[in-house]
Amino acid sequence: MRLIATLFFAFAMTTAQAEESRVISADGAITETIVALGAGAQLAGVDTTSHYPPEVIAELPKVGYLRALPVEGILSLKPTRLITTEEAGPEQTLEQIAAAGVDVVRLPVVRDVTSALARIRRVGELVGQQDEAKRLTRDIAEEVDTLKQSMVQKPPARVLILLAAGDHGVMLGGKDTAADALLLSLGLQSALPDVTGFKPASREALLASNPDAIVIAEARPGQFRPEQWPELTQLRAWRQGNRVTANAMMLLGFGPRLAEAFQTVAAIVPDETVISDAASETHAH
Amino acid sequence: MHTEEARRLPAPLAYGALLALIAAAATLAISSGAYPVTLQDLARMISGGVPNDATAQFVLWEVRLPRLLLGLLTGAALAVSGALLQGLFRNPLADPGLIGVSSGAALAAVAVIVLGGSGLAGWTALTGRWALPLAAFIGGTLTTLLAWRIAHRQGQTNVALLLLAGIAINAIAVAGTGLLTYHADDNALRSLTFWTMGSLAHAQWQDVWLAGPWMLATLVIAPLLARPLDAFLLGEPVAGHLGYSTAWVKRSAILLVALGVGAAVAVTGLIGFVGLVVPHLLRQLFGAGHRILLPACALGGGALLVLADCLARVIVAPAELPIGLVTALLGGPFFLALLMRNRFS
Repeated sequence: MRLIATLFFAFAMTTAQAEESRVISADGAITETIVALGAGAQLAGVDTTSHYPPEVIAELPKVGYLRALPVEGILSLKPTRLITTEEAGPEQTLEQIAAAGVDVVRLPVVRDVTSALARIRRVGELVGQQDEAKRLTRDIAEEVDTLKQSMVQKPPARVLILLAAGDHGVMLGGKDTAADALLLSLGLQSALPDVTGFKPASREALLASNPDAIVIAEARPGQFRPEQWPELTQLRAWRQGNRVTANAMMLLGFGPRLAEAFQTVAAIVPDETVISDAASETHAH
Repeated sequence: MHTEEARRLPAPLAYGALLALIAAAATLAISSGAYPVTLQDLARMISGGVPNDATAQFVLWEVRLPRLLLGLLTGAALAVSGALLQGLFRNPLADPGLIGVSSGAALAAVAVIVLGGSGLAGWTALTGRWALPLAAFIGGTLTTLLAWRIAHRQGQTNVALLLLAGIAINAIAVAGTGLLTYHADDNALRSLTFWTMGSLAHAQWQDVWLAGPWMLATLVIAPLLARPLDAFLLGEPVAGHLGYSTAWVKRSAILLVALGVGAAVAVTGLIGFVGLVVPHLLRQLFGAGHRILLPACALGGGALLVLADCLARVIVAPAELPIGLVTALLGGPFFLALLMRNRFS
């Protein structure tokens, strides 16, 4: 009887704990991770960089952009914890939210596989899903290793990454970006080594880059319109079909869909023969 | 030309109406927002008691109250500055942006947002969390003083030259901001876009203490310029003949605008239309006499901005709209309606 009572009490405690845990996630990749770990029910709100998975996001209150978080709006959702990145802001707002008794957790910005896996494990601890996180990271690590090994046989291809997002038009992904980090992780090179950050795409630079493969990251489906970029469709990589258009968050978020991102890019990197052609072509110029 | 006699409402009535408006706006601002605060809790907290909900207490004292005060001060400073410049230039279309305060502040703020981690790392290390507001304040006031310096010859300020210098400096500052925008990464781009739309959402007591005194100084000192500015309505030479030191009037007005608007912009970002529309609107109601107009602008500008802020925080709750967006969305059509009515009547 006493045992049953204790068990019941323990059960009541864990349920209460789960019910009490109200998490606001202000980062697309973190939101994805929380849902992927099966803790979506703890979400009390998300920021506007969170889009995936859409059926979960659609139900949740939006607290605005992660660099312009509202104090009162966040407190009104009565969260126990705010999980976000070092990019979130403004500083004062985060301090105020913490002062109001919310546990504010700021995770580092992730730009490589190791820290992506570390972030998933950390989020797993924060939402009480350590085992699930262990399983997910192991699966991702395995898939990524397999992909990397398949890439070893291919010479380092030069890949062009374009980002079609918001009202900024089409941007080139240069150094110090998640796009570059994705290429580096796969042992690939940027087709535009002189560009730093995301920069508006110059049509001539596109032609001159002559990449071996083209990756187009879209914030929303259909945002990139090939008919507006005849230069791009002139490129050999485009004509030979070494190209892919996919969701930007999946490709560049370094979240739980990391393996899918690697798979997407690896699939369009051409074989050795084509590469050596490209190399000789480049040298001939 | 309007004169003191042309005002349409007697002063006590005018102030009474504006004070009632402020009281209504303040009540609304204290009681509305994303976080639900019950009326009982509100009454209990205002009378010094402890509410049932500790977070409600935090929201009231640390979020809504500093935000209300900063809104009142900012709206007042912007409107009074607009009135000062409209009087000085004898042009109802003058607004504080005209003499470079906003564009100079924007250039400095954007520089901190974009280069804070690289070229200006020394500045951000030195000033910490105040890097942006301080830079914006300094940028805004320096730009204005530069415009004034260019227009200042032989102890006199040439108002037409001031206007032209302002336009040229604005163009340079906008180009500089554009250059920085080009250099910005995606995050900085979003941050600076938000900054240029203005916001009271991040108001804290520290902001009130830091920027409040400058704005308050503008509000308190500006009415001293009321009589000479009335004389300016008749033309600068007339004001001189009436015994006012026009050079002193111009210098004081520009300094007050630079400090008041510089401080406002520093803590809230760019909030448009208040400086242009509020003086214009109140002139229609109370006449052009600055003795009534300047204090009326302080009250009306504060009330209007606080009301706009109430809208900004509830329309898309729990997120918030930038307040500059709200003032422009409301102020633009309203201003147009005003112009149309005048045209047809």
